[in-house]
Amino acid sequence: MKILVADDSRVMRQIVIRTLRQAGFEDHDIVEAPDGAAAQTSVAEENPDLVLSDWNMPNMSGIELLHALRASGNTVPFAFVTSECSDEMRTKAEEGGALFLISKPFTAETFRERLGDILG
Amino acid sequence: MTNDVATTVEVDLDMIAEQVWSAFLNSGEDEAVFAAEDKGAHMDLAASVAMVGAYEGHLIVSCSHKASRDVASVLFAMEVDEVSQDDIGDALGELANVLGGNVKSVLPSPSQLSLPRVSATEHERWPGTVEVSRTVVSWRGEPYVLTLLSGSNHQEVSA
Repeated sequence: MKILVADDSRVMRQIVIRTLRQAGFEDHDIVEAPDGAAAQTSVAEENPDLVLSDWNMPNMSGIELLHALRASGNTVPFAFVTSECSDEMRTKAEEGGALFLISKPFTAETFRERLGDILG
Repeated sequence: MTNDVATTVEVDLDMIAEQVWSAFLNSGEDEAVFAAEDKGAHMDLAASVAMVGAYEGHLIVSCSHKASRDVASVLFAMEVDEVSQDDIGDALGELANVLGGNVKSVLPSPSQLSLPRVSATEHERWPGTVEVSRTVVSWRGEPYVLTLLSGSNHQEVSA
């Protein structure tokens, strides 16, 4: 399977990828995007099986990315990995069609629990 | 504006630091010590994020050059002598960003978090602010000082 990791912080992309590996998902292909707009292009070109996206990003935020994907008919499984996790954000994410939010800091155990059913 | 949240925040700073270190930096043999003794060691670098809105202030993490290399080395999975100045800046900035994001979540809302800024401590001043909480994390023998300031440069702070 292919996973798109969208975050404007290259440190955080590295941490997400490392945690995916630690959680036992090391056999999946990883694609990176530094903002929402690049992620939108990447979804069209790479056709990932899962998108893990930050919320606050330049050019296009994570929730704007999700809305844009769903508006274009794309139903790729989508989850947020974000340092801010308010009830309002959870509601917006759910209404937008996201699977769930994972808050930073996260552990490999969290990734296993939340992503196990999707990634196998 | 003043933010009378010192007691609550003091507790949370240690807890938040522990969550962040445990998730992103600890690896078996080099467990961090939280609420460590503040020995007043010289700090070379400061990474900070500003909070603007219902809470006005800054979250700062400061450390030595060696400590900053350790953080970058672990976060980028590189040898210590391979990390660049850009790596150090990005790693420390992200550390401040995640700490700040979690601190912000227990402070009055709504408020916005700035992008992180990393610079030499000798170039950093925080006029118009008061320290509301401070703790020290000791990791790999190096202190990391976490400070929460209240107030901002553009507003008056009550005495």
